[in-house]
Amino acid sequence: MLSNVLEPDSIAVIGASSNREKWGYRILDNIISGGYLREVYPVNPNEDEVLGMRCYPSVLDLPHRVDLGIIAVPAGSVPTVLEECGRIGVRGVVIVSAGFSEVGNSELENRVRDIARDYKMRMIGPNTFGFINTHLHLNASIIPQMPEKGGISFVTQSGTFGLALVDWAASQQMGLHLVVGVGNKADVDDSDILAYLSADRHTKTIMMYIEGIERGRRFIDVASRIRKPVLALKAGRSRAGSKAALSHTGSLAGTDRIYDGAFKQAGVIRAGTLEELFDSALALALSISPPAGSGIGIISNGGGASILAADLCEDLGLHLPDLSDDTVRMLKDVLPVIATPANPLDTAGDGSYEMFKDVTEIILSDRSINALLVIYVHAEMVDPCLPAEAVIDARRGCDKPVITSWIGGKSIGAAVKRLEENRIPNYPLPERAVVALNNLVRYKRILQKR
Amino acid sequence: MKILTEHESKKLLAKYGIPVTREAVARSREDALSLACEIGFPVAMKISSPDIAHKNAAGCVLLDVGKQDVDASFETIVANAKKHAPDARIDGVLVQEMVPRGTEIVIGIKCDSQFGHAVMFGLGGVFVEVLDDVTFRIVPLTKLDAIEMTEEIKGRSILAGCDVGAIVSTILKVSEMAAKEMIFELDINPLIACEMGVVAVDARAIFKG
Repeated sequence: MLSNVLEPDSIAVIGASSNREKWGYRILDNIISGGYLREVYPVNPNEDEVLGMRCYPSVLDLPHRVDLGIIAVPAGSVPTVLEECGRIGVRGVVIVSAGFSEVGNSELENRVRDIARDYKMRMIGPNTFGFINTHLHLNASIIPQMPEKGGISFVTQSGTFGLALVDWAASQQMGLHLVVGVGNKADVDDSDILAYLSADRHTKTIMMYIEGIERGRRFIDVASRIRKPVLALKAGRSRAGSKAALSHTGSLAGTDRIYDGAFKQAGVIRAGTLEELFDSALALALSISPPAGSGIGIISNGGGASILAADLCEDLGLHLPDLSDDTVRMLKDVLPVIATPANPLDTAGDGSYEMFKDVTEIILSDRSINALLVIYVHAEMVDPCLPAEAVIDARRGCDKPVITSWIGGKSIGAAVKRLEENRIPNYPLPERAVVALNNLVRYKRILQKR
Repeated sequence: MKILTEHESKKLLAKYGIPVTREAVARSREDALSLACEIGFPVAMKISSPDIAHKNAAGCVLLDVGKQDVDASFETIVANAKKHAPDARIDGVLVQEMVPRGTEIVIGIKCDSQFGHAVMFGLGGVFVEVLDDVTFRIVPLTKLDAIEMTEEIKGRSILAGCDVGAIVSTILKVSEMAAKEMIFELDINPLIACEMGVVAVDARAIFKG
């Protein structure tokens, strides 16, 4: 059961250390400073006390059986420590230690995996940064920061890059539930985590950073049954197939293309860039429901930005429907004479509360519009908070996704904060908003297929 | 690695219900003439050898061959094959019906180390690698997967006049074949699609071991 690992009632940190340079110190320190309220025991035969807590020479000496063992000892000592965990009935382990298949030592990794299986312990790693469960206030990782609580769960293949991504996500005020570094995936792999997240009540959106998938067909089978959005960024996009191939198919079959097909079958939304991964996860996590169709409405107080957005919509295959006669009539009543009641809609420079509230409400009421992008281009005369409040108010009671792009510098900071507080996904550039919107529509199509 | 000849590859396709050209391997000039008469003129004639992958480039494919040209064509094809690849094993000359013009499609199989068998679909013909307009799915495919493949290639509008239902059904038969056979790589190129139906005009299957 992965829940024993990811939602433990008690933890032993094996290799806990007073030396601030060591992972065994950082993990224990993170667990304590993260505010984990359940039992934690440091284990290390060379220490009496770590971070003011009594340290036990071995897990065999612990006063109680623990759910989770976090192992941060040198690779060569892992088998012994793992045996001991097995003997006292530890239910799962996270092996932070490095020095296994990633440096060519597959033999040691297989040995460790076999021990874990013999004792029926699930094992994450080796060579992982650990994991974070924000809802348990548990930072069982070497990541120095606890992210905001939220509905996005992030699964990433280990390595410095994965670590930096998590740190970045945390600084983005992106609400996260679970962050897991899968490491070398000797036992628990991406599919296992996906299956767990599928049933996890806190997880609303799943975000993955993948370097490689080993049991490909199983990944497709698991992912295609999940009724939550799954976004993935796959590193290594080389299109080249094998030059030595004996057929056209062989030479055209680059790894990237195979992954492309597999992700489509799995119903996984493939992001092309990190920016797309994070932006889209935000939009998917904050939207109450995906758009009912691909009809997009665009509102802006400045023509240029909305035309850029409309162009990109067309490139991505999003539809900008004509507005209904009723909508046009209502718009004519509120718009300045020089403005045209059309989609995309340009308010001819009017960024007032009343204008933004009226046009947002009217366009949202049009039946052919399934999602709305509101762009505000900052002009010095207007308080950018006013149109933001207008969108917040106009959207109330409507379940069509509304996303925004407030364009400007420091002076729009307070407005952006208001949008964030009201769970409206906001992007500093309209193109980024459109890419995120497109992935909302892609998710809707995936749901329709199931 | 075991490479099947075009004729052997098509026998395998036929076993899975994929339409193939009417054809037979002629061991001699006389043989070729009687086969051609049975098939009906004009015919296509190609070298039958597991060792010559690019028959066209080797001058080993002659199309629209009439009755009076069968003898000479047989000699030319065998001579070109020997010039191109002196050590190639030659089974004979494949005599094949000429298929009316249509849209050239490629359907293939590739065995991937992570995902197992994958099926490829795209625009085919001699420029398949230049066009580079193909898409993949992992075996087994659903009907929806196959339909999506025909809708997502860049050149999808070229398929407008074709029997897309027959293309989809062929993709699914290839998926079934991939699941059952120890295929390492397969090309059906071209599969010619017209208003009614499809037919595999050339194919090459490679087996493991």
